[in-house]
Amino acid sequence: DYDLIIIGGGSGGLACSKEAAALGKKVMVLDYVVPTPLGTSWGLGGTCVNVGCIPKKLMHQAALLGQALQDSRKYGWQYEEQVKHNWEVMVEAIQNYIGSLNWGYRVSLREKSVTYLNSYGEFIEPHKIKATNRKGQVTYHTAETFVLATGERPRYMGIPGDKEYCITSDDLFSLPYCPGKTLVVGASYVALECAGFLAGLGLDVTVMVRSILLRGFDQEMAEKIGAHMETHGVKFIRKFVPVQASMPGRLKVTAKSTEGPEVFEEEYNTVLIAIGRDACTRNIGLDTIGVKINEKNGKVPVNDEEQTNVPYVYAIGDILDGKLELTPVAIQAGKLLARRLYGGSSTKCDYINVPTTVFTPLEYGSCGMAEERAIEEYGKQNLEVYHSLFWPLEWTVPGRDNNTCYAKIICNKHDNNRVVGFHVLGPNAGEVTQGFAAAIKCGLTKELLDETIGIHPTCAE
Amino acid sequence: QVRGYLEFMQTAQRYHGRPIFALFCGDKDAEGRSWCPDCVTAEPVVRKELHNMPDDSVFIYCLVGDRTYWKDPNNEFRKNLKLTGVPTLLKYGTPQKLVEEECFKADLVRMLFTED
Repeated sequence: DYDLIIIGGGSGGLACSKEAAALGKKVMVLDYVVPTPLGTSWGLGGTCVNVGCIPKKLMHQAALLGQALQDSRKYGWQYEEQVKHNWEVMVEAIQNYIGSLNWGYRVSLREKSVTYLNSYGEFIEPHKIKATNRKGQVTYHTAETFVLATGERPRYMGIPGDKEYCITSDDLFSLPYCPGKTLVVGASYVALECAGFLAGLGLDVTVMVRSILLRGFDQEMAEKIGAHMETHGVKFIRKFVPVQASMPGRLKVTAKSTEGPEVFEEEYNTVLIAIGRDACTRNIGLDTIGVKINEKNGKVPVNDEEQTNVPYVYAIGDILDGKLELTPVAIQAGKLLARRLYGGSSTKCDYINVPTTVFTPLEYGSCGMAEERAIEEYGKQNLEVYHSLFWPLEWTVPGRDNNTCYAKIICNKHDNNRVVGFHVLGPNAGEVTQGFAAAIKCGLTKELLDETIGIHPTCAE
Repeated sequence: QVRGYLEFMQTAQRYHGRPIFALFCGDKDAEGRSWCPDCVTAEPVVRKELHNMPDDSVFIYCLVGDRTYWKDPNNEFRKNLKLTGVPTLLKYGTPQKLVEEECFKADLVRMLFTED
């Protein structure tokens, strides 16, 4: 019936569908959100729009504004009111915005003649899927080509009480009540970003970490992020894992040390589990049509054209094995895939030197390799690392730390001191990093950086 | 059918609890023609799809005022209802709306009326 059927209406799926439709193809998108154990669900747009990047950045902003209010008195602003934060007002405003995005996508797909089904899609035979909607009604559809863009969902701990009493990021951004005293389990960027803004809004936050912070990220930067959060009121419990969540009165968490017999027990209002995300590939009939997945993590291995082992099935976004889990990457992959399939293009998605930013209270932007990775790849003796602490001008007047913001570049001595890793910890790290990513794509070297005159007074200079 | 912001709000409040759809158009002259040409195009399209509204819905047809009132960036519709153009067709109390040329498309209008 269709040229292209895309399973998943998130960043990747929507971008791919719109591009394919623009190239004149008959396209269908299926998007379906299986409600969380607590019953939370959301509209069209995927993780980023509904329970990821967008609400995260807005709540991060809410927290930054709180900090700005504190600084404002030092800059001469005078007001009597004690400033407090209202969680419900913030959530309503954010959810309203998300609702307009969901609607915008509905209109956009309609205008581009993309068929949208709010149904759960699964393969039942080659080239054919079964679509089941909320009411259990089933329809069948066939297509020449399929794209898997089903994304991921938060992983639970597998301990008693986790699904009954704990929440995840899927629930946090639309929580109808203020989370209050919160335990965040995990040390992923999701865990740290959430712990960060919750603390910034004035809540009592503890982070329970099994081993290291931000696995896979530059560890020097990760530790600095953690240290900053700690000096700003976030409690860390390191080398412990929860073993039980119960609700004898209030919500109680029992945890054990990873290094000995020590036990920890405490009561919280909310427990937020952020230990990782799992690809939604296990229940969509991939085994029926022979698409191979990596059994360990459920992700889909693809070639450099996003094609799976089954030629008419492609995959994009967070479900890809060994690729970055980022919205802009999924969007780019989706668009380029559609152009290759239907527009005669041969451009492939470039996964090298993709810039990212972690929106912890002190933001961390990076492009290229972590120092550990660079040492692995080039050898310590072949690298030169240039680094600097810096004190943002805006922090001077309010008297904020002068030994916290930090930047480093890792250069390859055998390639003209080519910048292979860029890392910055400081305000507006995302805005700062974007431009440097373009420079790195052009082959930025230390010399070129030295020759580039700074903009004064900024952090970026 | 109502005219002006106050009348609109009073009517919307009266039907609180029921799904409310509203079409905002520029005033009509003595011959029944609106100063807003896009509103002239949109109105019949919208009216033709009204039967698709869910049971118990209310449809409010609201004349916003004359052209001068509408052009004022501080008029109540712009400030309080966040309208950016006429015609606007919206589902009151939700972010769902169609603006200007979007109102010319019957399938978009139908989608607004039937979407949940």
